[in-house]
Amino acid sequence: MFRVTMKEDLNEQDYYLEVEAPHVSRHWRPGQFVIIVTHERGERVPMSVATINGGRVGMFIKKLGKTSVELYRDFKVGSSLYAVAGPLGRPLKLESYGTVVLASDAVCGHAEQLGLAQELAKLGNKVISIQTFKTEKEVYPEKYLAKKYVDEHFITTLDGTAGYKGHYIDLLRELLARREVKAVFAGGVLANLKKLAEATAGLNARVYALVRTIMVDGTGMCGSCRVRYNGVIAYACRDGPWFDARLVDWDDVLRRDARFKKVEKIALDKYLAR
Amino acid sequence: MSRVVKKRFTPKVLPVSERLRSFGEVVLGYDYETSVREASRCLRCPLWFAPCSKACPLRVKVPAFLEYIVKGDLEAAARKVYEDNLFPSITGRVCPQEWFCEGSCVVSKIGESVSVGLLERYVGDYARENGLDEKILAEMVSKNSGVKGRVAVVGSGPAGLSAAGWLRLRGYEVVVYEALHRPGGVLAYGIPEFRLPRGVLDHEIKKVENLGVEIRLNHVVGKTVLLSELLSEYDAVFIGSGAGTPKLLDIPGVDLNNVYTANEFLTRVNLMRAHLFPEWDTPISVGKTTLIIGGGNTAMDAARVALRLGSKPVVVYRRDREDMLKTARRDEVLHAEEEGVEFRYYLQPIEFLGDENGFVKAVRFEVMEPLNELDERGKKKIVGTGRYVEIPADTVVIAIGLEPNRLLMEESGLRFNEDGTIAVDDHLMTSLPGVFAGGDAIRGESTVVEAMADGKRAAEEIDLYVRRKKGLA
Repeated sequence: MFRVTMKEDLNEQDYYLEVEAPHVSRHWRPGQFVIIVTHERGERVPMSVATINGGRVGMFIKKLGKTSVELYRDFKVGSSLYAVAGPLGRPLKLESYGTVVLASDAVCGHAEQLGLAQELAKLGNKVISIQTFKTEKEVYPEKYLAKKYVDEHFITTLDGTAGYKGHYIDLLRELLARREVKAVFAGGVLANLKKLAEATAGLNARVYALVRTIMVDGTGMCGSCRVRYNGVIAYACRDGPWFDARLVDWDDVLRRDARFKKVEKIALDKYLAR
Repeated sequence: MSRVVKKRFTPKVLPVSERLRSFGEVVLGYDYETSVREASRCLRCPLWFAPCSKACPLRVKVPAFLEYIVKGDLEAAARKVYEDNLFPSITGRVCPQEWFCEGSCVVSKIGESVSVGLLERYVGDYARENGLDEKILAEMVSKNSGVKGRVAVVGSGPAGLSAAGWLRLRGYEVVVYEALHRPGGVLAYGIPEFRLPRGVLDHEIKKVENLGVEIRLNHVVGKTVLLSELLSEYDAVFIGSGAGTPKLLDIPGVDLNNVYTANEFLTRVNLMRAHLFPEWDTPISVGKTTLIIGGGNTAMDAARVALRLGSKPVVVYRRDREDMLKTARRDEVLHAEEEGVEFRYYLQPIEFLGDENGFVKAVRFEVMEPLNELDERGKKKIVGTGRYVEIPADTVVIAIGLEPNRLLMEESGLRFNEDGTIAVDDHLMTSLPGVFAGGDAIRGESTVVEAMADGKRAAEEIDLYVRRKKGLA
């Protein structure tokens, strides 16, 4: 079950992992995610979906904590994951907006761009994609970029070694000044999504953000992923994970994201020391 | 009547000192001699009268199976139980018997009621440990000839497992769809293993699978597979998807770190084994003092889990102990008390206070007082006094109840009641013909045994429905 069919490096920290999960791929729509469990003792980890190839689900994963490092090191093509569940969350209700911008600066955001770009293009939108990396060396291989699905594609690097120098927010600001952008979809580093919400506060366009949270069941049963949204409590797993960026209480999201920082390090250190 | 033994025989219980850091089962149950002695306390009311049996949602023929225990024929006792209840090892452990069989026992008029729960558990465990349960079920299922139809069951909790089992026994092919990576529903994620050991639960689930029921894990109905697809693929559908979503307090600070819902707190430990972190990957963060807000079974479970994680649990309830015993199983309250869980009454949370890093550090409560009036559930109405207290705590668990998770089914076309539960008719059929529902999905928060009773009755109704549809009835 849930056999690994492909594993490739995207850069030094990020990798692509594809698993057999036909039950998930059948109804998946852009905006929805999956939950994976590595083995019987594994945790339930939500993952953005990058690709759907027939019955196979592809994900972008960053080697960050114990699960993602273990998955990279110990799981090979032919190994099986213990569980893959989904699709979970609400699909994004996409429309024909006109000009739209996709922006991302980390694995989950880069992954979601692929599905969104194809769907938005299908709906007749003019799609601009901005993908931010730290430096040239970290830019993903071309086949994993949104480039082939969009009308205009920008790479930005923080040190300027490739493409535009700066973050997607900097380039977005310039684009917003010149073009009539009707919708923005952004995902990646949470702190930067907070900045995005601030940068687009008065903008007359829709601004959606991927609110990545700590989940357990992923179906609205536990409340681990709760987010203060427009003054009330929403569940990212059930009501999201995409929300209007300007209605999200980002300080709340950032604080809750740090809930298990201390213990997460224990798990990783123990795994690395084995 | 004078020969009636007024006091019940006590079961073996794990000493408190051994419970503090252990998730091992607390109540160890009766041995053979004690169970015979306890069963002998039964007055053997005739079945047409027996209030215990009438009070049981599953209508277990209590005096009949107790009589077999007295005779020493445990296999016959097990057969008698299995006529009405496929999961005696579960109900014998988790039923609030004082609200059902034991609460209506005739002996309780002159002494303590017969310990029906412990006896049911004894018979269930005896059957399990001696392979009798599989034998009895195999005999029951072999009475069918041919397959009557196919039924999909949504959820593998008590309602779903029961529906699946009884449908199989009526000659149906059954596929259970479970959202999580382990079956059992609330029995797996909600009830701690010191009340329901994992080995027992796993066996009970295996038992249903061995009957020929297929459980498809990681399938979220409404997402992975749609209700409409199930309807076209199966002759009928049973929804036992549970209560779903935890209620949260709408007060300041509820988003602070280390403020958990009881579902999250218990799921991390019961399902994901966070108490074994880092051998198991799921973490839980618990401080020195854990405040548990609420007074039901879930609050007791959370308190006792917190204790076993090394925290000091304080249960804070807005009413008093007497009213708490109307929402929590008596044994769980008593066990929590003897384990050293602290209880504070007549306090209503007003605000969670956090430290500079966004972690909870205290909870502010308003002191409540009772009115001379009862609410619709027979509990005293309460009113605020305008006086406030602050209790320091670095972990909080909110255990104030659940509400239905209707979003998973929002595009299903099902009709819901105002409280969010799925609307059903007298035959447990929903607004969609062929779709039946039971358990917490239709009751809101209820008990394991009522969910099992719904599953059993739904099997009967589904059987009737399918046979009618096929022109067989």
